Amino acid sequence: MGRLKSAIPALIPFVVLTASIELAVRQGWVHSYLIPPPSAVFQAMIESRDELVAAVATTSASALLGFALSTIAGVTIAVFLSSSRAIQRAFYPYAVFFQTVPIIAIAPLLVIWFGYGTRTVVASAFVVSIFPVIANTLTGILSTDPPLRDLFRLYGASTWATLVKLRFPAALPQILTGLRVASGLAVIGAIVGEFIGGQGLGSVVDVARTEQRVDKVFAAVLLASALGLALFGLINLVSYLTLRRWHASEQ
Amino acid sequence: MTASSPGSGGVALDLRGVRKVFQQLTVVERFDLVVANGEFLAILGPSGCGKSTLLRMIARLLDPDSGSIAVEPGSDRFQTSFVFQDAHLLPWRTVLDNAALPLELMGVAREERYARARNALTETGLAEAEDRYPAQLSGGMRMRVSLARALVTAPRLLLLDEPFAALDEITRFRLDLRLRELWAERGMTVVFVTHSISEAVFLANRAVVLARRGGRIKLDQPIELPERNEDLRLDPRYGAAMKSLLAAMEEE
Amino acid sequence: MHRRHFLPLLPAAIWAACAKSERKIRLALNWKPEPEFGGFYAAPFSQHGLNVEILPGGAGTPTVQMVGAGSAEFGIVEADELVVARARGNDVVAVFATFQDNPLALMAHASRKFAEIGDIFKSGGTLAIQRGLPFARLLEKQYSFAKVKVVPSPGGDLSAFLGDPKFVQQVFLTSEYLTAKRQGADAQVFPISGAGFNPYSGVVATSGDYLRKNLETVKAMVAAMREGWRSYLDDPKAANQRMNPLNPSMTLQGFAETADAQKPLIDNGEAQRNGLGSMTRQRWLTLISQLEELGDLTQVPSPDDCFRSL
Repeated sequence: MGRLKSAIPALIPFVVLTASIELAVRQGWVHSYLIPPPSAVFQAMIESRDELVAAVATTSASALLGFALSTIAGVTIAVFLSSSRAIQRAFYPYAVFFQTVPIIAIAPLLVIWFGYGTRTVVASAFVVSIFPVIANTLTGILSTDPPLRDLFRLYGASTWATLVKLRFPAALPQILTGLRVASGLAVIGAIVGEFIGGQGLGSVVDVARTEQRVDKVFAAVLLASALGLALFGLINLVSYLTLRRWHASEQ
Repeated sequence: MTASSPGSGGVALDLRGVRKVFQQLTVVERFDLVVANGEFLAILGPSGCGKSTLLRMIARLLDPDSGSIAVEPGSDRFQTSFVFQDAHLLPWRTVLDNAALPLELMGVAREERYARARNALTETGLAEAEDRYPAQLSGGMRMRVSLARALVTAPRLLLLDEPFAALDEITRFRLDLRLRELWAERGMTVVFVTHSISEAVFLANRAVVLARRGGRIKLDQPIELPERNEDLRLDPRYGAAMKSLLAAMEEE
Repeated sequence: MHRRHFLPLLPAAIWAACAKSERKIRLALNWKPEPEFGGFYAAPFSQHGLNVEILPGGAGTPTVQMVGAGSAEFGIVEADELVVARARGNDVVAVFATFQDNPLALMAHASRKFAEIGDIFKSGGTLAIQRGLPFARLLEKQYSFAKVKVVPSPGGDLSAFLGDPKFVQQVFLTSEYLTAKRQGADAQVFPISGAGFNPYSGVVATSGDYLRKNLETVKAMVAAMREGWRSYLDDPKAANQRMNPLNPSMTLQGFAETADAQKPLIDNGEAQRNGLGSMTRQRWLTLISQLEELGDLTQVPSPDDCFRSL
């Protein structure tokens, strides 16, 4: 109940904004074909609910899979990079490539490699979300407290034992930060992939746009945002459960 | 130099000509020291005098640039433990798991290492806290865990780098007392770095005062005092020892 | 012309809503400068006392919304797009139609030996179209997409078509089809008009409000555009040279070939009878009833509201 109460301040701007837009459109200050009144968006959600529910399911699955893959690959790559300065210097620039490449430009390439459908969408979500995982995990692993590293050395711990028992758990808060960022990006990546590859919420947005159904476009976009929020919330939950007993951020 | 403490004879630590340079600054010049088995040695000196560096070299966390450090010459396995200035516990582990960490890293089986960890925690007065997390403990309690962790491997050489400096006076006194008791019970060799003269006099049976720079030994004297307890300060020999050490530290 | 995809509506809408109209006349294109707009670049606007700025477009430029919101006085749209916009409450009116015949088509591999457009939907394979557009929905209604795999249109990217013999994609006769032929592809085209759907294309639209307040200006615009297209059809070289630097993705040679290929779509029977860019009520009426049948119109516009002959 306390948590619900604490959500109220966040809801107020949303309610005010929604009411203002509704008023503006009804008064004729803004054309409904430019910005749909919230009532129309809601209506569109109800009317197309079967289609939207299916689209949400499709996009969620792709975004989640892409996110899971980027988590596993990202952490693994970061562990590899952490092993030596020379390796970092040699390979880190290529990791940065994932951050800077514009997904819109390479999405057509993804279709050529993975075909139309889920694989392209997952690939797109993966490419867009992996870099924050790599960057944050690497920073976390490299930032281990020197005295703790000394402690492990003192008792003859192997590099692997130090990684698994010290550096990785110590890096967990940082890793979770990276995952928070990556989760939203995975949804964006999935939607972009769907513009090119068809299916899901991305396809609903694209088709509705060409149908000039702005209300449906907004409905789909809102659902996509909700999906991003849900994924973000999931990471927060994981963070709470794993860190609550020992990290300042959850206390 | 005679060690008025339990333990067999023989040398625990032999430093010869140890030298360490950090970025063109000579932190330790030619340092020589012999520590007998079972001795409780206090190393005193102002900040920046090189005492922490020396301790870390003894622990083999750092290598000297020249010279040699022999730890219990003649024995093949010598257990060294280190207690840092801050407790440095692993926050995601319980008190018990933290205390058992060295044994875990050495590959000791679970049952045995937990049993030994519990013993160590009892010895440092933390038996009931074994399931708590470091975030839930006070500074003094965390230091006790750190001490338990250092003792769990039954070390022959125990190194401490100003471990109680951050604690309040009463907690510090209690821990000093306990440390002294543990030393007496186990017969290990202790090297204790501090810049508190009263602590050095209370704990050690030999004190070495280092110069401001370069790790040069200015004074090396035994501290022969009776039972180390709350009333020690009333003993006139306590005052005398304090005075002589103070004088050595003040010169320069 | 309906083209590629990725510009979100909202920022454009907000920007459009904030824009003020100026003495300068803005003509917004819905794609990059190409022969399909040649007549506008050749038009002698200043001679008619008009200070016109042509705004090149790109993927997903929302021209019909821009005109409705007032961030451009004129915009290039498709006739079916205009009807749907009117049904959604956007008061836009057509004043000039560049293409009498719609250049939209489906392109398949000739090896599949299709005889007519309906054959495409009977034998499997992949169909890449913009599914939300009226022509696509009409095709779906007429022929059913049950036997083909529908994917989004790749725009000008021909790699999927070239790599897969069972790939059919939406093209413009004046654009991707020519490019495919130039690359030696085994391509065969089926114009949408063959399925009975032939909306005007390259339609110049303005807002009902602007038209009411600036009738003389609009008349002058139409006259200038008519002259421009006449000039471009006779000799496109000068306008092509103006457009090429704005769109370096095509060579001057390509510009010339396209300008040539598009002539029969622009300068045919209707245009020759009533003048370039002219429109008839009958065609608008046909279009409106086709769209009404598709179930896309919440309100049904009257053909007289959709266009003005000037």
